[in-house]
Amino acid sequence: MPFNRKAHKFNASINEVEIGTGDKAIKLGGENTFPFYSFDGSLGSGPKIGVEITDLGLDAEPEGVKAYYAGCNTIGEIAKKAAEMPGGDFVVLRLAGGDPNGANKSVDDLVAVAKEVADAIDTPLVVEGCKNVEKDADLLAKVAGALQGKNILVMSAKEENYKAIGAAAGLAYGQKVGAESAVDINLAKQLNVVMTQLGVPASSIVMNTGSAAVGYGFDYTISTFDRVRAAALGQDDKMLQMPIITPVASETWAVKESTAAEEDADEGWGPVEARGISMEVQTATACLVSGSDAVILKHPESVKTISRLIRELV
Amino acid sequence: MTLFDVIFQGNDAVYGLTEKAVDDAIAKYGADKKVGFPGTAYSIPCYYAVTGTKVGTLGELKDALAVVKTLMTREAKLNDALMSGVATALLAEFIEVLKYIDNDTPYEAPYTGHLPDPVIRELGVPLVTGDIPGVPVIIGAAPTAEEGAALVKSYQEQGQLVTLVGGIIDQCAEQKVKMGANVRVIPLGKDITAVAHVVSVAIRAALIFGNIKPGDAAGLMAYTKERVPAFVNAFAPLNEVIVAAGAGAIALGFPVITNEDTFAVPECLIPKVPVEKMNAASLEARNIKIKITKVDIPVSFGSAFEGEIVRRGDMQVEFDGSRVDCCELVHMKDPSEVEDHAFELIGPDFDEFPVGSKQSIAYVVEVAGKNMQADFEPVFERKFHSYLNCIEGLMHTGQRDMIRIRISKDTFNAGFRAKDLAEVLYTQIKNEFAAVVDKCQVKIYTKPEDCTRIRHEIAIPMFDKRDERLSSMTDEAVDVYYSCIMCQAFSPSHVCIVTPERLGLCGAVSWFDAKATHELDPNGPCQVVTKERPIDERIGEYEDVNEAVKKFSQGALDDVSLYSIMEKPMTSCGCFECICGIEPFSNGVCIANREYAGQTPLGMTFSELASMTGGGVQTPGFMGHGKHFIASKKFMKAEGGIARIVWMPKDLKDQVADAVNKTAKELYGIDNFCDMIADETVTTDPEELVAWLTEKGHPALSMDPMM
Repeated sequence: MPFNRKAHKFNASINEVEIGTGDKAIKLGGENTFPFYSFDGSLGSGPKIGVEITDLGLDAEPEGVKAYYAGCNTIGEIAKKAAEMPGGDFVVLRLAGGDPNGANKSVDDLVAVAKEVADAIDTPLVVEGCKNVEKDADLLAKVAGALQGKNILVMSAKEENYKAIGAAAGLAYGQKVGAESAVDINLAKQLNVVMTQLGVPASSIVMNTGSAAVGYGFDYTISTFDRVRAAALGQDDKMLQMPIITPVASETWAVKESTAAEEDADEGWGPVEARGISMEVQTATACLVSGSDAVILKHPESVKTISRLIRELV
Repeated sequence: MTLFDVIFQGNDAVYGLTEKAVDDAIAKYGADKKVGFPGTAYSIPCYYAVTGTKVGTLGELKDALAVVKTLMTREAKLNDALMSGVATALLAEFIEVLKYIDNDTPYEAPYTGHLPDPVIRELGVPLVTGDIPGVPVIIGAAPTAEEGAALVKSYQEQGQLVTLVGGIIDQCAEQKVKMGANVRVIPLGKDITAVAHVVSVAIRAALIFGNIKPGDAAGLMAYTKERVPAFVNAFAPLNEVIVAAGAGAIALGFPVITNEDTFAVPECLIPKVPVEKMNAASLEARNIKIKITKVDIPVSFGSAFEGEIVRRGDMQVEFDGSRVDCCELVHMKDPSEVEDHAFELIGPDFDEFPVGSKQSIAYVVEVAGKNMQADFEPVFERKFHSYLNCIEGLMHTGQRDMIRIRISKDTFNAGFRAKDLAEVLYTQIKNEFAAVVDKCQVKIYTKPEDCTRIRHEIAIPMFDKRDERLSSMTDEAVDVYYSCIMCQAFSPSHVCIVTPERLGLCGAVSWFDAKATHELDPNGPCQVVTKERPIDERIGEYEDVNEAVKKFSQGALDDVSLYSIMEKPMTSCGCFECICGIEPFSNGVCIANREYAGQTPLGMTFSELASMTGGGVQTPGFMGHGKHFIASKKFMKAEGGIARIVWMPKDLKDQVADAVNKTAKELYGIDNFCDMIADETVTTDPEELVAWLTEKGHPALSMDPMM
């Protein structure tokens, strides 16, 4: 009996959200089938890769990252180099220094950093906060205002501060908004519902439904992607049809597999940097094949590997 | 003269003035002269928003006048009056824009005049988030400068964005009220036409934040009504121009509150309000709720103190409901009977009691609100325990009229008195239940005779009424059930359907709780489930319920029954208080509760049973449920009801015995049914169980086979 290929068609698709301006602008989402099921439907413009930099500079970065940015002295120069990283589609500025329990940099200083980064690059820009909800509410609202017209994606709008970030980024200054929830389809959906009730158009929202490094409760992350995608496509749930962006580097480079020096690690673990890259690549791959429309990475080797994976599969 | 006549007259007067001003300007500068406000992309904003046409020159302004004239219809009807009000606001904007010809700064400090777009974007964010709870527009001069300044300050303290027009500005200056956008007091201008600048703010907020398309006048007015929490305070005397402008405000959804003795229009025009009551009257009219950020009491407040014990030796005073008459009560009242944040102490305060003494107390929290329902009373009341325990050095146990409160000496010495207890109840109720509580006041009684009277004449009858209502509520008596998906974080496909006779399997969510959760958080975990299309009443299956279950389980479950353990039983998350499982030898079921660690006749312990019952899967023959469900007439009704229960742990049996015996008597006429139910002291062996049941004549043995 001959093989009859039956395409699994959905009467629904993921929203297409554009970030950036001009020739380098990119679209997240747009697919109407499961990840990489190009034999069943359209993948939109395919998954995208963000290159993460932070306002804290390079001191704490792995050697390979330091080497890539060698010679860069200002955050502007670092950003320019990040934008040029082969395989990367956009730059992600994580304003980690804003954390009141860390460097506690002032909002004005961080807004200046964001401006310097935005002025240095012509690729799309994504800005992440410092994970402190009160600080982020103020900080990200100001960043959204300062970068008006750049069509950036402002991440980290959570249940606690979505009003301030959503109203500033999504309404007042016409940016895109990243809605962040913690590995729970209902919380993800609820945040999208209240965000749209606030007036932010569904077409301006991108979701971060939570992330983790492989081996660190990562199955929750994956099952959330699975369920969100199944509901978005299978049940045409409009409040879950936002594209998904997943910060990977900030998770994977913080776990012991990526940080333990070779002499402190168990036998056979091998060089620390190779382990870090492996964690980043494994996590990013699992995210992409489960439903992420974009992953945020930082090591040039990981970006190269994942971009090749996407190229081969799309 | 009617209110309509006054509005029309005012509108006509402004039209005459505007027409003359525009004509004069054209005569002076020519029709091609550019006009517009600086710093806005929407010039001229109000007219552009209402009509969709931009005005750039004096000639176009003249054309716009003719368009405005078409709004000024003169039938004595509401719509004519409101549109004439809108026309008045548009004309005021025309007069204002003429001031900006060849002059970007016709207004000088302290007056601001036109506010540019960046200011609106900046103020718009806190407006949308609710951080600016309201926008009072104060017009004219208060009877005295002191009263005017006090009103402005009262709004300022609430974080509102106060805009001023006319005489109030000089009064504030005289009283040294700080003004400026940074302190949220904005003096717009001296003339009544300056009110156009705040209308312009509201309207541009709709364009920027509401995505309203210019020209969509209906959408615009809906947005300002729903989303811009502005209102007008107009001081007497009101002339017809102010009244006409007020009609414009009302058209945008902004009520007008005045101390003038004039016409009253419910919810829109509220006259004869004394200046000191304007704040409260305005908040009520515009339905503005002020967020309380800090509990103002002399000791700390937080969940860190919840488990704190106050020992007898450290105790200043004790209120003990088991020895003397005490009670706590939430009482819904008519809004006219409640003054927000009022507190009354009837009887001695804590400092008048001897140290270490046992006293009576009754605290009654009276609430009112447009969306308040008496069914929420017990839901609020149950929170008192955790509210009061969050107070440093205060211990609260029990509920209703069986409460005990101890206040420590340290807390007393820090200054904690009855009013502080009231303050905690007030702030917590207002914060947590803002969706339904508009006003709240607290009364505390400390005289023994008052407490006795309140306990026996008010509280106990009320508790009895509530219990009566709860116990008489049947699934058939209500129109809707509620879904609950609070547990989906760890049990992704589980959905509870909560009905009056079947509470959530965790035991913590009754039908009333689910209802209140839904009202308080309409997008939250509890949603309305209709039950209009029954499929099979015997097992409790409904098309609507199935649709809801399918939707909320993201397609994992297709159908559930409410009353059967064998056919499509409801799923369980993992929070169940009890698990009920089929016992084949006796043709009945065994129930194990979470606290019971031993073996059951099923050959499985509670945890072993849990592993096959939880996780949101349907396992016919097994079901998780709450303790209270055991005595329900709907407990596995499809299989014959509680007559199937053959075994449960002794502790559990003791807890539910009274209720189960009552149900068995009503359903089957059996007395002391629990005596026929075995427990671990009888046996955990299935064969011995059957022998024991046979000896007792247990009804399950003769019922139809379950499988």
